[in-house]
Amino acid sequence: MTLLQDLRMGLAFAFRGGKEGWTRTLLTAVGVGLGVALLLLTTAIPAALQARDQRGNDRSDLQPQQLKHATATSILVGNGDTTFGDDDIHGRLVRPEGAKATPPPGLDRYPRPGEMAVSPALADRLNDKDAGLLRDRLPYKITATIGDAGLAGGPAELAYYAGSDDLRYGTDSVHRIGGFGHDAVPGSLDPVLLLLVLIVFVALLMPVAVFVAAAVRFGGERRDRRLAALRLVGADAAMTRRIAAGEAAAGALLGLVFGTGFFLVGRQVAGGLTVLNVSVFPADLNPAPWLAALVAVAVPAAAVAVTLFALRNVVIEPLGVVRTAKPKRRRLWWRVLLPLAGLAALFPLIGKGDDGGDFNAYQVTTGVVLLLTGITALLPWLVEAVVARLGRGNRAPVSWQLAVRRLQLNSGSAARLVNGIAVAVAGAVALQMLFTGVEDDYTRQTGQDTEQAQMWVRASGAGGAHLDERLADTEGVRGTITLNRVSIALKARTEKSTTLTVGTCKALREVANLPSCTDGDIFYISGGYSDKYTKRITAPGSRVYLDPSYEFDKGKAVPWQMPRGARTATKKHAPNDMAREGVLATPAAARAPLASGTITAEAYVRTDPAVSDAADQVRTAAAAVDPLTTVMTLNSTEESNQFAGIRTGLLVGAVCVLLLIGASLLVGQLEQLRERRKLLSSLVAFGTKRSTLSLSVLWQTAIPVALGLTLATGTGVALGAVLLKMAATPVTVDWPAILTMAAAGGAVVAAVTLLSLPPLIRMMRAEGLRTE
Amino acid sequence: MTTSLLTATGLRKIYSGTPALDGADFAIRAGETVAVMGPSGSGKSTLLHCLAGIVPPDEGTITYEGRELSAMSDGERSALRRSRFGFVFQFGQLVPELTCVENVALPLRLTGLGRREAERAARPWLERLEVDDVAHHRPGEISGGQGQRVAVARALATTPRVIFADEPTGALDSLNGERVMELLTAAARETSAAVVLVTHEARVAAYADREIVVRDGRTRSLEPAS
Repeated sequence: MTLLQDLRMGLAFAFRGGKEGWTRTLLTAVGVGLGVALLLLTTAIPAALQARDQRGNDRSDLQPQQLKHATATSILVGNGDTTFGDDDIHGRLVRPEGAKATPPPGLDRYPRPGEMAVSPALADRLNDKDAGLLRDRLPYKITATIGDAGLAGGPAELAYYAGSDDLRYGTDSVHRIGGFGHDAVPGSLDPVLLLLVLIVFVALLMPVAVFVAAAVRFGGERRDRRLAALRLVGADAAMTRRIAAGEAAAGALLGLVFGTGFFLVGRQVAGGLTVLNVSVFPADLNPAPWLAALVAVAVPAAAVAVTLFALRNVVIEPLGVVRTAKPKRRRLWWRVLLPLAGLAALFPLIGKGDDGGDFNAYQVTTGVVLLLTGITALLPWLVEAVVARLGRGNRAPVSWQLAVRRLQLNSGSAARLVNGIAVAVAGAVALQMLFTGVEDDYTRQTGQDTEQAQMWVRASGAGGAHLDERLADTEGVRGTITLNRVSIALKARTEKSTTLTVGTCKALREVANLPSCTDGDIFYISGGYSDKYTKRITAPGSRVYLDPSYEFDKGKAVPWQMPRGARTATKKHAPNDMAREGVLATPAAARAPLASGTITAEAYVRTDPAVSDAADQVRTAAAAVDPLTTVMTLNSTEESNQFAGIRTGLLVGAVCVLLLIGASLLVGQLEQLRERRKLLSSLVAFGTKRSTLSLSVLWQTAIPVALGLTLATGTGVALGAVLLKMAATPVTVDWPAILTMAAAGGAVVAAVTLLSLPPLIRMMRAEGLRTE
Repeated sequence: MTTSLLTATGLRKIYSGTPALDGADFAIRAGETVAVMGPSGSGKSTLLHCLAGIVPPDEGTITYEGRELSAMSDGERSALRRSRFGFVFQFGQLVPELTCVENVALPLRLTGLGRREAERAARPWLERLEVDDVAHHRPGEISGGQGQRVAVARALATTPRVIFADEPTGALDSLNGERVMELLTAAARETSAAVVLVTHEARVAAYADREIVVRDGRTRSLEPAS
């Protein structure tokens, strides 16, 4: 027979081998399919991120230059971003100034004053029973739904555009643009973040590869028996291998079809899911064609390669399969070479993170893949070496003896089952170390004093005058310190100015060290970069302008005679870490500025921790003063967005990978049990307790899992240490976090064992002895 | 007249709507060997499984030494099978990862004996069944006839009162089959164990003291061969 005929016969066996053949092919196809779906999803991520960025750019109103004058296409835009609970809401107040103003992406027309267009998710949120405060905050009539093109954050994004005829050019939070969208120059990741992304991808994809390799070996023992029957009717050893390859390719090809199906279904399902505040449009998940083609070629090729590799120690004789009754001892030397080669690849990159140079992505990937592949090579050897030394005790229970003997006879299957978990845990441990090590570099200490105040509110224009009063009446507010501020300059039109801050003596003491203070006093802050200018402004008899005009920003430029007698105060950091410069005045000394309509009010708010929605109460109260009020929750630290994004990506990916590995383990476990159904039944028949057999199954899993997790933790720590050294960061090991990773891997195995118990108990029934 | 060790009356058992047993009766005395014969699918193995307390009948009663099996808990029936019954099946019964001596020692270990004591007690049975030379081989490394003798040794190791043998020579050639039967019946006689021997081969049934035939789920006694 020709090679093609043999392969075709293998394909036929896969699909026409009766119920058993079908079951095996289906198991393989489902396993490969899950792996393929995850690979396709991974290859679709870059496109999804790009689409997300593009939509963000298309709706952007941040433009380098503002228009000075209204045109037929100009739009006034005010920032109405807000937060409800933990959910951020993208909001803009808009007012088209000309008839030709193009609406933002996702809208056909601009909402009229008092109307708003909302995203579907925000419409749902507004209908929630507990969203009363949000409804009060956005008291507009919903007249339209924002289309997908306007939702940069995905289908679950909370967003709105509200029409307003109160927007005035020249006020603090309103700007004039010629249209939405700008061409952003894509920013590049710094080398350490790029390293993190690479490791996240490798650490997540390696277990998938291991999983696919395990899936193509599902039902291998039955397949071998079938091949033995073929030998009996005259097939030679080479033919049986080719037939096996054909069978494996069939499973993998069907797996590709399944995988595409799973991916398409998963893509639709993904549209309705929000994981860690991330949602995607199904249409965004488009794998790059060349990557999809690579998956389509690589998976069947890998399936055939793995099958042939697995058959290398199996002698298929006409009267049965000889799975090397006395298995050859596994050799260690080549297994150790893999992680050593990985380390060798990474070693030259040590310290590169320090000089700002980029890491060679291929070198990093090769090194990490080799190190993690080392686990899959070392684990079978480790399991074999350890179990060979077990089971010699006189009092060891029968369940232990059964498990140890089974592992001694065939530790490869058990190690294969654990490989995926071990690789995932090693990757997670290394990433955990890397994340913890570089966390400080990407987490900024804001200097904000969250003991003194928990929120900061700023309102300009007429609303500012009522801010203090309105906040004081708000539920959940324990106290406020309100300051009023305005730019002042010596000329009506200028590029040089400083700030006049007006507040009570108590309020001013929060932002500067005052010598003594009574209402009517005025101070200037020394020690700032504009010291000289401030002294000139506060010179006796000087005439200043409140809210002067700048080149691109027209101010009111209200003239004011500076009161005499300014005394010196020194700088102090406010609760939001802002250190003020310029002039400080008590209300009696600044009656005219307070009445000038140029003032912006700022309030530091202390909230009551006993009121769970205090923050939302403050935000809603502030919006009632002016919808463009800025509200900020003070935090002592702030994490880099990119760093946080990578961390979120890792968590989402890790959840998917652990579920996949759990599924693979379960299928593998059930298959092994199915193979032993008759034996289990006969053991029960002669009186073996079911608990003994259940425990033996548990030991059979627990021993390799314990060894796998130990090896994974060691390798993970080694990889983490190398990666930290590459990032020029001191090596520290956060053992509790690392043990949590190992425990998560252990928990997946425990869950799988629990799930396999009901079928195990069913298989132990005496019906298993029946042959008719 | 000697009292029956194990008795069954009016057994009915239905699998997926098809009656495997339809009013079968059975009795065996201590030290007696009874062959249960019949064509494939007649209900022989089901009868054996019911008699051994492996599966409960849908109707009818089974008593062992005067105790009704259906009145026993699953744990009690398992303990009975461990200590009083022994089993030999056609194939697939030896634990492939245990050596032959470990397989024979397994039922003893299940009764609580330590590994060394159990293996020490297992050795004479391997000698008795003429397979002591493969004591440290795994089932995959020995012939079918040797494997079946190891299985018989395992069935005898706890010195059971009843041995249930379901087609014990079904997978063996005639020479090996006869040797297994000779050793099984001789050892059973020596220990006064009763043997319930399910077979469809007259040659094997000839080792029994009497025969019963199962057909369509019903039993019929035949006179002992003279």
